[in-house]
Amino acid sequence: MSTATDLQIAATERTPEIHLSASTGLFRMKGESYPEDVAAFYGQVVHAVEQLPTALAKPLEADISMIYINSSSIKAMFRIFEGFEAVRRAGQPVTVRWHYTDDDDIMQELGEDFKDRFPELSIEIKAN
Amino acid sequence: MDDSLFDLYDREKLLLAEGPAILERGIESEIRAFAERLFERFARVVRENEDLTRHSDRQEQRLVKLNQNLKTQTHELDIRKTELENLSKQLAKYLPPQIHEALFAGNHDTRIATRRKKLTVFFSDIKGFTQTSENLQPEALTEYLNEYFSEMTQIALAHGATIDKYMGDAMMVFFGDPETRGVREDARACVEMALSMLERLAELQQRWRNDGFENPFEIRIGINTGYCNVGNFGSDQRLSYTIIGGEVNLAQRLESNADVGGILMSYETWVHVQDLVDVEPRGAISMKGIARNVMTYGVTGRKKPHQQPSYALRHPAGISIELDTAVLDADTKVKLADQLSELADRLRAGH
Repeated sequence: MSTATDLQIAATERTPEIHLSASTGLFRMKGESYPEDVAAFYGQVVHAVEQLPTALAKPLEADISMIYINSSSIKAMFRIFEGFEAVRRAGQPVTVRWHYTDDDDIMQELGEDFKDRFPELSIEIKAN
Repeated sequence: MDDSLFDLYDREKLLLAEGPAILERGIESEIRAFAERLFERFARVVRENEDLTRHSDRQEQRLVKLNQNLKTQTHELDIRKTELENLSKQLAKYLPPQIHEALFAGNHDTRIATRRKKLTVFFSDIKGFTQTSENLQPEALTEYLNEYFSEMTQIALAHGATIDKYMGDAMMVFFGDPETRGVREDARACVEMALSMLERLAELQQRWRNDGFENPFEIRIGINTGYCNVGNFGSDQRLSYTIIGGEVNLAQRLESNADVGGILMSYETWVHVQDLVDVEPRGAISMKGIARNVMTYGVTGRKKPHQQPSYALRHPAGISIELDTAVLDADTKVKLADQLSELADRLRAGH
């Protein structure tokens, strides 16, 4: 069951699995993302991440492993990363691990783009 | 924040919504502060847009590549499909069409397995083929033989036969597997096929004679109906879909006993076709593996449609006799005449 800052969203064909716990400081996002209604799907996630600067009990560790992500979802992820940035600015350490499948250069380059866009965050790009 | 009101561009839209009032008020410091926020947000949106465009381009490139791969694969599949179709056409010449179709539809079981089934078995053979072949040039022999088999095969397939095999100048065909229309209809289809073959052969003989083929092929046909073992015989490496059993051998024996240009059938076949063909009874034959003596019938021709019985008697007292004397053998005729005579005597005597 999800609360304002805790999320347990199971993966579907079009949306990724998302897990967030303010008490453990863990964020996980995995799968494919091309929701029919991006705002409806990511609204809850952005809302929960925006609560983290005041709700987080431990340093934030985020693991992101995406196979496919459409442009609207990337726009929503910018908002999620802005939330991570806010956590960092609030004084909590933030570690982001961006996982990509070994031969998936698109996901690798997208990770690099996020790293360039959010220099304050520690983003590790990892091939699986 | 209400999740349902989330908008990907909500921050930009909120900022833009503030603009008209700030400009209306005209306070320089307020306008400056607003402009700074606007620039900052605008710069962020531009960067985001650059990232999104770049990502979108990469996705497009991947799609183009995938599409090219798909086209290549489709082309290769088309080539494979054509190859398979050609192979299938070639294989079709070596297999019974029903088996060929079932194999390619994935419905045919290729395990070594047989079952007993009542079939009607057909054998034909060219009379004196060895002698005939010695009198013909090999090229001519090949041409005539191919034409003969092509024509006979076409007729067999048109009647729904399963062509078991060609053995030199002989042909073995059966009805009832893998598809059956019932034992009676299978037997009738077989006899119809045999008649059509003889009729077509007569036409071919005429043409061959005109072509200089002095003593064209003549055939004998044997037909029997009975329980056979049908299915896949052989080994895991090489299978043959065929039939075996005493009833198959009987069909072959009937063929060898048939008149030249004639059909000899067993009693078991005759009972299913007696309204189709005129026959004359031949002797009984016995065969190893078949316990009974088999009555045989030589076909003398097709029965004419609506053929009148050779004797008909109807009486208002409720007596109706229709008698086809052609199907009675001499013994039966004598016995029947005796019985009728006895009946006549009793009637005359007032009993």
